Amino acid sequence: MMQIINKRKYTYAISGILVACSIFLLSIWGLRLGIDFKGGTLMEISFSQEDSQGNEVTLPSNIQISNSLSEIGLKELVIQPSENRTFILRYVASDENTNEKVLEKLKELDENVSQERVDFIGASVSSQIKKNAFFATILAIIGIALYIAWAFRKVSQPVHSMEYGVGAILALTHDVLITLGIFAVLGKFFEIEVGVSFIAALLTILGYSVNDTIVVYDRIRENIIKSSKKINFEDIVNKSLNETLTRSINTSLTVVIVLVSIVLFGGESIKYFSIALLVGVIFGTYSSIFVASALLVSSYEYKKKHK
Amino acid sequence: MKKQNLKLRLGLVVFLALFVGLISYPRALSFFPPAYEYLNGIKINLGLDLQGGIHLEYKADLSGVEEDKKDEALQAAQDVIERRINAFGVGEPLIQTLYSGGENRIIVELPGIKNINDAKNQIKETPFLEFKEEKNEEDLKEIQPLIDNLNESAKAQAQKLLEKAKSGDDFSDLAKEFSQDPGSKDAGGDLGFVEKGLFVPEFDQILFESELGDGKIYPELVESQFGWHIIKKIEEKTTKEEGQETEKREVHSAHILIVKRRAEDFPMLMYKSSGLSGKNLKDAQVVFRDQGLSEPQVSLKFDKEGGDLFAEITKRNIGKTVAIYLDDEIISAPVVQSEIANGEAVITGNFTIEEAKELKSRLNEGALPVPISLVSQQSVEASLGAESLAKSLQAGLVGLILVMVFMITYYRLLGLVAAIALLIYAGMMVTIFKLSGELSNWPITLTLSGIAGFILSVGMAVDANVLIFERIEEELNAGRELKDAINEGFLRAWSSIRDGNYSTIITSFILIWFGTGFVKGFAVILVIGVVLSMFTAIVLVKIILQSLAGKWLSKNTWLVCSPKRKK
Repeated sequence: MMQIINKRKYTYAISGILVACSIFLLSIWGLRLGIDFKGGTLMEISFSQEDSQGNEVTLPSNIQISNSLSEIGLKELVIQPSENRTFILRYVASDENTNEKVLEKLKELDENVSQERVDFIGASVSSQIKKNAFFATILAIIGIALYIAWAFRKVSQPVHSMEYGVGAILALTHDVLITLGIFAVLGKFFEIEVGVSFIAALLTILGYSVNDTIVVYDRIRENIIKSSKKINFEDIVNKSLNETLTRSINTSLTVVIVLVSIVLFGGESIKYFSIALLVGVIFGTYSSIFVASALLVSSYEYKKKHK
Repeated sequence: MKKQNLKLRLGLVVFLALFVGLISYPRALSFFPPAYEYLNGIKINLGLDLQGGIHLEYKADLSGVEEDKKDEALQAAQDVIERRINAFGVGEPLIQTLYSGGENRIIVELPGIKNINDAKNQIKETPFLEFKEEKNEEDLKEIQPLIDNLNESAKAQAQKLLEKAKSGDDFSDLAKEFSQDPGSKDAGGDLGFVEKGLFVPEFDQILFESELGDGKIYPELVESQFGWHIIKKIEEKTTKEEGQETEKREVHSAHILIVKRRAEDFPMLMYKSSGLSGKNLKDAQVVFRDQGLSEPQVSLKFDKEGGDLFAEITKRNIGKTVAIYLDDEIISAPVVQSEIANGEAVITGNFTIEEAKELKSRLNEGALPVPISLVSQQSVEASLGAESLAKSLQAGLVGLILVMVFMITYYRLLGLVAAIALLIYAGMMVTIFKLSGELSNWPITLTLSGIAGFILSVGMAVDANVLIFERIEEELNAGRELKDAINEGFLRAWSSIRDGNYSTIITSFILIWFGTGFVKGFAVILVIGVVLSMFTAIVLVKIILQSLAGKWLSKNTWLVCSPKRKK
């Protein structure tokens, strides 16, 4: 049996450093907000029917347009084909210079391409969405804590059932904060921007993290009920962790397999979404093994000492 | 469990697998074209990012809003439209503000083509509610030139009529056609016999003191507070009633009136924005005063900011009117009796009960702080692009196959059963996506965030099986019979699966309840996925395993768990 719990000061140190770094980096760099939050430019262009020699101009595809614009390095370019050979482009930059470069590049595809309009667009994530998403997430977290406290009500010894709920929430906060921190770094050095899909990824991580933690807690609950009172709480937790270790790793592995294949073979648009999930799932597994249960033991030991 | 019963259940599993398989992959029926075409016609309702939709642009008229509050008002309008469309159930719209050529606009992109008109009507129905207060004299001066202008042309018209009447046109016909005095107009301007003192002094002067002869038209326009009169004296009579000293002189006359405009005649110009608008509205109710004997009224409750504003507005307008504008029309303009500090107002507007109820629900779904009007509409294609979508779906498929390979390698026969259950699960999800639009009014719109929920639910479906299989293996290693081990494995794993999934379901419902747009889309798919995956991973896998757990398998337990892990 692996001794996981008695090494908890190391895992606490690792988690503590990671969380502290994440909070620090988030506060100095913040996340690089994308077009969904910040707004950007909306350009409508229309391709001509025929060039000056009278030859028919073939309508370029989304991919062709995005390839021809790739040199400019537009952030979060979204290309929507519309009626009558027009395309609506949305991207983050909002300076004249970039807009001119975009038009120049498009002229290489069709010399007579016309720019129907260039406008500034506001964020698609309205203040309402932000407020609601935040409010809903807080409520969801409280809901989870209450449910766990209720589901574990039969094992209020040696630690109170509410502590399972708190432990699960600390673990998920840990996972979400580290994911945010990593994206602060990715935003700073790789100019990766976060948009609506990043929020969806965070919500997914939240759900996954709780699910992962509960399985371990459930085993602890079962072992407490089975065992005689004399057995040390730390041993019970350690035994439960070992019994669920294969499952924890196998489950994460299946999710990681799906995500890695999306990162490698999937389209550009859900790549960063998958990277966010990947980071969250890996740390979610880590925290459910090394942090969530260890917290129960620490809380138990602390109370024993200060009785 | 009885064998007969088990066979029946297994039969149902096979039937379900075939059913969802055919709906998800109609090409399997391509040898039978009618069925293939029918099934192929049922499509998943994809979101804007995956399928495209319609691009609407609304112009927001911010002219009545103070400079520093314009952004706020525009955002409030964005919020209201968002709420409105979400209430209507259009999956994941894209709503953005846009600054274009000096105009503030709101872009609304709606996925799919179904119900676009309904959605447009919904947006159109969004009420624009505004409270306005009377302008002070200073402000009123600004509109005076406008009124002067109007009156000048009115006077010119009166002058023309006078010339016509003088040149011999029939006076009574002219009055019938042009007079703006509703009391005498239809009688050809006839005012009957009157004594002195009944009409305004300017009018009396002509009738009683000028030298105008009977049947004559006074050669000039006569201006009074009402406007410009063209006066015709028809006849006069003098009577002396018994017991009276003086004679009574009465004149019979007719007139054509062209009304003079005053500021009060233009309530729209009389009022100015008070800063209180639909964005401060919290709740609207239909109420009846006087035990239901009065006509229905709509009572409004403001939010904190709105309540404070309303208190201020009423305080500085005691004795004056405050006008309630709905869709740019005054529906009532009550006189303020006292300061109202409770943040509530009442609209009395001669409503029928139905009208009051309709207004109430329109207001409750959100009232706009600024008026909007549709300026353009065009269809757009998917933003993700078909190539990108196909690539991502392929990647998801590769992932799914790898997961199945992993499960089969690690859990052998059990893994194979789980892989089959996973396929049935994926098929059921696709079936639900496809049929939700056909069978109900709540089509599930699949977008990127929905795909995220789907991926998570696949992970959880596998997790349930991993939990169960680990347990079965443990029980087998503890020396149980295969059948018992299977039953025990499901029983013991259930509490973990239950708690994990319940907390996910709780989270999802809270997100559905309070969230909008992508958050909602994500949660809806996740909750459907979790419930279905519990069914496939537990019920279906159990039925298949119990059917397989015969004598043969008991002898070949290596198919179920690896002997080297036996302790």
